[in-house]
Amino acid sequence: MHKLKEILMLTDKGYSDLKKAIAACTLTNLSLMLPFIVTIQIFAELLKPLMGREISWTYMWIYLAGGIVSAILVFIASKNDYKKTYVTSYMEAEHTRISISEHIRKLPMSFFNSKDLSELTTNIMADCSTTEHVLSHVVPQLSANAISITIICALLAIFDWRLALSIFCTAPLALLIILGSKKYQNRLNEKYVEVKLKAADQVQEYLDGIKVIKACGLEGSRFSALDRALRLMKKMAVKMELGTGIFVTGAQMILQAGVGLTVFVGTHLLTGGRIELIPLLMFFVIVVRIYGPIVVEFTLLPELFYHRTATKRMRTLTTTPVMDGDTEKQLTSWNIDFENVSFSYNADNPQGNMAIKNLTVSIPQDAITALVGPSGCGKSTISRLIARFWDVNEGCVRIGGVDVKTLDPEHLMSYMSFVFQDVILFDDTVYNNIRIGDMEATEEQVMEAAKAACCHEFVENLPDGYQTMLGENAGALSGGERQRISIARALLKKAPIVLLDEATAFLDPENEVQIQQAISKLIEGKTVIVIAHRLRTVAGADKIIVLDEGELVEEGDHEALIRNKGLYEKLYRIQQETKGWSVAAS
Amino acid sequence: MKQKNTTAAKPKTGVARLMELAATKKPLIITAVILSALAAVASFIPHIAIYYIVMEIMGAYPDFGGLDLQRALAFGWIAFGGIVLNILLYFLALMCSHLAAFGTLYELKANFALHLARVPLGFHVLVGSGKLRKIIDENIEKIEGFIAHQLPDIVASLVAPVVMFAILLIVDWRFGLAAIVGIVAAFLIQAKAYGNEGARAKMEQYQNSLEEMNNAAVEYIRGITVVKAFKQTVYSFRRMHTAIKEYTRMVIPYTLSWENYMSAFTTVINNIYLFLIPAGILIGINTADYTAFAGTFIFYLIFVPSISTVMMKIMYVMSGGLQILGGVERMDNILRQPRLPQPQVPSTMQGHEIVFENVSFSYANQEVDALSDVSFRAEENEITAIVGPSGGGKSTVAHLIPRFFDVTEGSIKIGGVDVRHMESEYLMKQVGFVFQDVFLFKQSIMDNIRLGNQNAADEQVIAAAKAAQCHEFVEKLPDKYQTVIGTAGIHLSGGEQQRIAIARAIVKDAPIIVLDEATAFADPENEYLIQRAFEKLMRRKTVIMIAHRLSTVRNANKIVVLDKGRLIEEGSHDELLARGGKYFDMWTMYTQTLDWKMSRKGAAAHA
Repeated sequence: MHKLKEILMLTDKGYSDLKKAIAACTLTNLSLMLPFIVTIQIFAELLKPLMGREISWTYMWIYLAGGIVSAILVFIASKNDYKKTYVTSYMEAEHTRISISEHIRKLPMSFFNSKDLSELTTNIMADCSTTEHVLSHVVPQLSANAISITIICALLAIFDWRLALSIFCTAPLALLIILGSKKYQNRLNEKYVEVKLKAADQVQEYLDGIKVIKACGLEGSRFSALDRALRLMKKMAVKMELGTGIFVTGAQMILQAGVGLTVFVGTHLLTGGRIELIPLLMFFVIVVRIYGPIVVEFTLLPELFYHRTATKRMRTLTTTPVMDGDTEKQLTSWNIDFENVSFSYNADNPQGNMAIKNLTVSIPQDAITALVGPSGCGKSTISRLIARFWDVNEGCVRIGGVDVKTLDPEHLMSYMSFVFQDVILFDDTVYNNIRIGDMEATEEQVMEAAKAACCHEFVENLPDGYQTMLGENAGALSGGERQRISIARALLKKAPIVLLDEATAFLDPENEVQIQQAISKLIEGKTVIVIAHRLRTVAGADKIIVLDEGELVEEGDHEALIRNKGLYEKLYRIQQETKGWSVAAS
Repeated sequence: MKQKNTTAAKPKTGVARLMELAATKKPLIITAVILSALAAVASFIPHIAIYYIVMEIMGAYPDFGGLDLQRALAFGWIAFGGIVLNILLYFLALMCSHLAAFGTLYELKANFALHLARVPLGFHVLVGSGKLRKIIDENIEKIEGFIAHQLPDIVASLVAPVVMFAILLIVDWRFGLAAIVGIVAAFLIQAKAYGNEGARAKMEQYQNSLEEMNNAAVEYIRGITVVKAFKQTVYSFRRMHTAIKEYTRMVIPYTLSWENYMSAFTTVINNIYLFLIPAGILIGINTADYTAFAGTFIFYLIFVPSISTVMMKIMYVMSGGLQILGGVERMDNILRQPRLPQPQVPSTMQGHEIVFENVSFSYANQEVDALSDVSFRAEENEITAIVGPSGGGKSTVAHLIPRFFDVTEGSIKIGGVDVRHMESEYLMKQVGFVFQDVFLFKQSIMDNIRLGNQNAADEQVIAAAKAAQCHEFVEKLPDKYQTVIGTAGIHLSGGEQQRIAIARAIVKDAPIIVLDEATAFADPENEYLIQRAFEKLMRRKTVIMIAHRLSTVRNANKIVVLDKGRLIEEGSHDELLARGGKYFDMWTMYTQTLDWKMSRKGAAAHA
């Protein structure tokens, strides 16, 4: 029984509520036996004259009254059962949803880069919905049926074990079929879920890429990837339905062969004089109804199996280790040191493709340090390692002498601001989107940051100013406007270390001047690490670190590197050449 | 066909609409329904057979030696046969209905996807992908349940009572009537439960809170990296938390609103025999033939419980129905969004010059015009650049040419023909695009490029890739052109993605090119290559170039300057500079920013 708690990932309260729900459900099942008992009584009464005794109409009236009382009991029991199972399941599903969301926010950044967003969302929402369903419909009924079937079985055996045996002897065989095919059914199911997720992914992609799809004239089924995924899903669904249906149907037939068996055994017992008429009739009436609950068991059991796939998925989520560390330790200086750092995004095969190889480099405090190199050289990775989005495989990263591994990631974050290219804005007001930088900030401070980041003007032009709702992913704002909001956030945060992707400065060329001003404000007096693409922009940096394929190639300031005539000098030269390009009119 | 959807007859709603959807696979559905009805009828067989056995035994009483054992056993097998028949027919019915259901699902989804691509693009900007995704993944999905399970069950539960009523009334109408009173009482409870307005309203709230919770989840996960960076996970978590709590707050009263009805229903259908007892007593007191009376009474007592199985099915059918209807309505609401109208008599363009004539346009739900009264001419085989401050309307121009939106006023003509007088498909073939926001699909690079022209041979794709300066980096990837975008370990830089998008446009080889140069600068290492790719793409085409960086277009044949949705200047670079207007200002500013440097001196960085 305790295993159930674990399988369903229940809380203590949920588990005890579930037990209550099962008890309530069992009670309902047993109460449903009452009409049957009354019916048998009426039978017996009706048969009296056949056995030479007088029928009592008074008794009949009493049975009616008894029947009405038992009906009221059924009502009370099922009402109690209804309330208990549903409320329990919804409360428990709520708890699961919350605790999963809670867990998600503690997961390391790396987790979100390696997982599909749509898959994660499916995880929370769909799996919690199945939990809801399993708890409200499957588990209580399954358990209650099992309990009441056992009780009924025992009662019948007391009456007549031979007939009870002939009723129930087919059940183990049928159960064997169900359990035996479980593996096969599971496999079908897993395959189906996989196909379904794939289809959901394709749908998402179709929606995200709708502009390209329109432009390429690939509407609907002409976009073959979606069409294929949907077709495959159709095929797998039919296959799964058939695959599971056949076993369930077969098991049902075998189970109910007990009807024929009971009639056979019963009539033989009767003619042999080894059973009374009334008990036999009782068995006959029972035998056509008894299998109902067992069949229900057979249909519920696969649902429980099915749910295990969902809990398995949820468990991978909840067992993903969270990054932890000291939440109190204060950093007091900001020079950053990489010591023999090696790192690979591929945790399973770190030797395969290292993003950073044995890097030892230092980034001075209160200075601007630029990371330079061809794309894929590892410059973004370095900034991610500083922020502990990932943990290094070897070596260590220190800030002010403290190994970042020893610090709680969120605590570490409080010392850093980020301005990257992919700005994520929330479906909330502009004001709240800026205030994310510092939830304690006053309105004046928010405004001030907005002004410093050159947001104020365009925000004031929005229909409701700072209170304008941005909508999903803020489609109405230009890249530069979004970028400036993110800079305002960073300004508000006032973190001593600023990590910055220089390309952001060029996202919105028309407003370049404003973004440049905003960035200049942001980096004032900070320890700044710039991922640089346009070398001219960082030529004035205090230190330039040149990387290639994850290794340090050169370091120094602009003049020194130019004199060095290495990779930096070459990149710089190429960029100078492309600077003045223009389309040529034919 | 295309016109039909916009002018369809009065749309069906509710169950009628569901039936309409189900009818897509008519033969299968009909077979399923018939089989299911037969199965329901077969479900009565065991009860009747057992009755005959009981009568057989009672007839032999008290000397069971005289019992016709063969006959009794035969009825036993009939009972078993009835069960097998019921199971088998039902299984077959479900197989048919599932085939129909999954087939219908596929068609609904495909049709929905098609529709989404046919509505003006602005719709997507407004609605957001989360909601649409939910409709496809969940709402439409639920229709499966209706077609696969509920429809056969509904029909069975309509046929079964008819057969049941017939049996009930034929054997003895007095008992029959008593039993029917019980069944009708159960039906009335059902009707009351579902006719209740409160439940409907709660249903609505429940659906809304479910949707809200889904949206919150999407937003929560999408934004998690940011909130982590700002140590604000509590903030966004709180929203998620509220949405979850709100859902529970809605769903519990909604569910509990059924509590009494459901319990009453369960009670009544399991106690229909209670209606028989008074009838039995009244009949029995005055009966002349007691044996016949007792037999009939026993028949009813045995038969009536079989009603509960059938009636329970009806209940499940009803309770699921409402939810599905809500989902279908959501789907239909989107399907009712008008598609971009297509011309009755499509024309084809004569030449490729693009003319904007007094074009005004405003995005839905926005007061300010994105373009007002814009007129200009982009000559065939020339490069026309559109420049101006962001929000000036440049991208809108790009979006109007391929009819992602239709103009509010004025017209856009290509080769002398209004774009609205051409079929979308035809128009799309004539125009190639490179957008600012490059989107690559999680498919092989080959397929991604081929999107531009489905009929292109591998060689053509590779030639285009070479022209777009992709070939070199693609060859370095593990699976070369078969490398699937988005697989672990495959990372393309912004510039590389941009070049694939250019290759896509090159392989399309459309006479008109609309392009957006912005992102080139996100990846200066590749700038040179992108410039080469652009040159290949634009050769001998009519080009509309949305330019963000003035130096890029200073050699264009014509430069159109837009500000706040209005055309304020046009001419060549030199003409515009000479004029000393807006363009001149922009150019001056631009040359300044070029020299910006990040340095410790911070704000004083402009050298």
